[in-house]
Amino acid sequence: MHVKSAQSTFRDRTQEFQSIAEQRKKSFSSGSVPNGSSSSSKSEEQRSVVAIQSEFNRRASKIGYGIHQTSQKLAKLAKLAKRTSVFDDPTKEIQELTGLIKQDITALNSAVVDLQLLSNSRNESGNISSDTTSHSTTVVDDLKNRLMSTTKEFKEVLTMRTENMKVHENRRQLFSSTASKDSTNPFVRQRPLAARSAASSSNAPPPPPWANGSPSSSQSFPRKQMDGESQPLLQHQQHHQQQQEQQLVPLQDSYMQSRAETLQNVESTIHELSSIFNQLATLVSQQGEIAIRIDENMDDTVANVEGAQGALLKYLNSISSNRWLMIKIFFVLIFFLMVFLFFVA
Amino acid sequence: MALNLRQKQTECITRMLNLNQPVNATGTANEEVYKILIYDKFCQNILSPLIHVKDLRKHGVTLYFLIDKDRKPVHDVPAVYFVQPSQANIQRIMADTSRSLYDSFHLNFSSSIPRPLLEDLASGTLSSDSIHRISKVHDQYLEFVTLEDGLFSLAQKSTYVQLNDPSAGDREIEEIVDRIVNGLFCILATLAVVPIIRCPRGGPAEMVASALDQRLRDHLLSKNNLFTEGGSFVSSFQRPILCIFDRNFELSVGIQHDFRYRPLVHDVLGLRLNRLSVQGEKGGMRSYELDSSDPFWVANGSLEFPEVAVEIETQLNKYKKDVDEVNRRTGGTDGAEFDETDLTGNTKHLMNAVNSLPELTERKQVIDKHTNIATVLLGEIKERLLDSYAKKENDMLVRGSIDRNELLGVLKGKGMKMDKLRFAIMYLISSESINQSEVESVEAALRESEVDTSAFQYVKKLKSLNASMASASSASRNNIVDWAEKIYAVTAGVKNLLSSDRQLALTRTVELLMEGKPNPEIDGCLVFDPRSPKSSSGSSHLRGPFKEAIVFMIGGGNYVEYGSLQEFAQLQQPVKHVIYGTTEILTGAEFVEQLAFLGHKMGLGSNVAASTHF
Repeated sequence: MHVKSAQSTFRDRTQEFQSIAEQRKKSFSSGSVPNGSSSSSKSEEQRSVVAIQSEFNRRASKIGYGIHQTSQKLAKLAKLAKRTSVFDDPTKEIQELTGLIKQDITALNSAVVDLQLLSNSRNESGNISSDTTSHSTTVVDDLKNRLMSTTKEFKEVLTMRTENMKVHENRRQLFSSTASKDSTNPFVRQRPLAARSAASSSNAPPPPPWANGSPSSSQSFPRKQMDGESQPLLQHQQHHQQQQEQQLVPLQDSYMQSRAETLQNVESTIHELSSIFNQLATLVSQQGEIAIRIDENMDDTVANVEGAQGALLKYLNSISSNRWLMIKIFFVLIFFLMVFLFFVA
Repeated sequence: MALNLRQKQTECITRMLNLNQPVNATGTANEEVYKILIYDKFCQNILSPLIHVKDLRKHGVTLYFLIDKDRKPVHDVPAVYFVQPSQANIQRIMADTSRSLYDSFHLNFSSSIPRPLLEDLASGTLSSDSIHRISKVHDQYLEFVTLEDGLFSLAQKSTYVQLNDPSAGDREIEEIVDRIVNGLFCILATLAVVPIIRCPRGGPAEMVASALDQRLRDHLLSKNNLFTEGGSFVSSFQRPILCIFDRNFELSVGIQHDFRYRPLVHDVLGLRLNRLSVQGEKGGMRSYELDSSDPFWVANGSLEFPEVAVEIETQLNKYKKDVDEVNRRTGGTDGAEFDETDLTGNTKHLMNAVNSLPELTERKQVIDKHTNIATVLLGEIKERLLDSYAKKENDMLVRGSIDRNELLGVLKGKGMKMDKLRFAIMYLISSESINQSEVESVEAALRESEVDTSAFQYVKKLKSLNASMASASSASRNNIVDWAEKIYAVTAGVKNLLSSDRQLALTRTVELLMEGKPNPEIDGCLVFDPRSPKSSSGSSHLRGPFKEAIVFMIGGGNYVEYGSLQEFAQLQQPVKHVIYGTTEILTGAEFVEQLAFLGHKMGLGSNVAASTHF
């Protein structure tokens, strides 16, 4: 209904225009032949310019389309990540999709860089108007912005995914048997302040698929999982009197592992801080492009004022020069008159 | 259906920017095409309150130019033109197409382009062999400026002068009426409604109403009309009412000094197209935008100025408290427990703080902006004694008279000439009977202060004409003014107890018209219904209570009327919607200048001659 109403508030006069054109063409058909040759030569030199321009346009539209597709895939990923539950975890799908999206974003990034190089080289080759230059710069900027926002969305989706994983791990802890509790207790006993270990064995399956990805963002995920384990750990500290003498060798291993996890935790905090700083940086850079209005054209005003000033100056010159000319003529006339009077009278 | 003119116009413009293809839910067209936007001066005024450069980029517009600017070719990119259908613009377009500046031209005209101009365009582009570049021609019916959700202006200058000019011929008046009708037709087309038109008898209002009625009738008869959404189900409860008034209906509103925030900013600081330039606190001009995206402006625009200052204080304190809270949560007070557990906790707090930073910054900006505006305003008020003017004028209008000494005291005291002139004219309008000696003394006082009294003389003449007209016939439109004044003069005492605002005659009349009950006050008003067949008259079922109204003032309106109408609409149960529009939005000074011009034309001028050109 809304689309229908939107369509009815304007009128398409194209048909009318073209019918008029047809009529006129018939009456002009005799006179248009001599114009043909000149127009063809004009179009020749335009064609080369147009070719480069269309290359740029084609690439830009390809990139735009790629970004559009990537954001669609991202929407799918977000839906998948949201709907996971403890037992029905489509990890493989999510993993595949994440890999795909990462590839896409990297490819798009390099494509945008290429596009920028192309536009720079073309601008330097001359023969291009200033408007075209600003147009291409704006297009590249716009594509970069959109890519950046897509990457940010991607990061947010991954963060959400991690949090979900954390929640699942918590629930798994609650549901799982005491076997896992046994393995955690010695850690607690040995290092009550370590506070980071918690069922590393049960966590072994999830980290590898993530760690295989190896971009910087995904490294923070298993660490963030560990953050969540601090709560169940507090519970475990109450049961630390069980089975202290068990597993000395695994104790050693687990000690190393707990150290590793502590380090990873610190690393994750650093990652979080880096994201905060990134946010701040984008905030600062975005301050530049807020609400500019269309009519805030200072250049136009200045140009107009200068033009007016120049026109006035010219007019002043013309007036004064005329005046001088007239005065001179006047003097010459008077001079002749006086001479006349002198000699006649 | 709430009539939100601003939203509708924005939708139309968005659609136009997407090359008139249907826009999907995310607000961008399916195809990603980068385009260039070209407009002329009038359309720049239409676009600037509605769309910012950010939105343009979102819709794929990379560059935007004035049509008169010298532009360079950008090949292989479509260009969207949004211009008025005038001969000069058509010439420019033909020049552009012959130079092949852009790949394809999508022409959008702000109102319907007449056939001769279309033919000119066709022949021009044919002769330069570039007609294949013009891909589309559209009529957009957007020839009006929307400033807020319920406020529009046709941006037609000096209509009051031209309509009331004694030397204006019939043809000129017809032209002006046509232009106004064109603008109103665009508004109705954008809203896609066919309203019931009511106007007081006589004067330009009646001319405009009957011309608009005729135009709507003709249009509805043609197939493929723009109002198909109206459909067959037409009842009085769904159609709004369009009330057309002339400025002479209530002259005082255009001249008086008002003390509310929005009218003050417009009158004193010069708010144009929602944009304001004031002296910043650190020197240098700052430019601000005041529109519906500014929460403080929306909430407090109709408060009196002292209350606004209090409100700014409150907001500032709240902001400071929030900032302190953020500082406390992340800051240096609790450095005690800083082990690893709380490392996470701290970073979480830090992240929350960073996320709330943009919101806090924005709030601070808004508060700073309004503090600056209020400070400058306060300076102006103190210098020009605007508060005393406003108060005294209000007293005059309510009571109908003023103490003579007070009057002369104001006129002889300090203050700007324009303010004194406005005060004197207000005295003239508000006093029920013209006391000749008092008027003489007022004129003498004005001349002493070297004020150009031509406007004063003009209003005096107008008032004397009205007085004679009122006594001549009982069915004149001035009865409405008399009735309205009598009514609120009687209830003035009661009203003063209840509220400090006087209701304008305009608001009162609109209220009665919207209720639709037969009332002796408004029986003088004519009714036009473009949808009904010509023969039927007095279709009483269409006089039911209306929920929505469009009020149009010919000759110049201002924010005082707008504020008063909005107030009235909000107070109703259930809430009604009123859209207010005029031919142009004038400050008091500008309107008095127009009156002075008319006074000069009629030869009523005084020694100080004003040489303004309209």
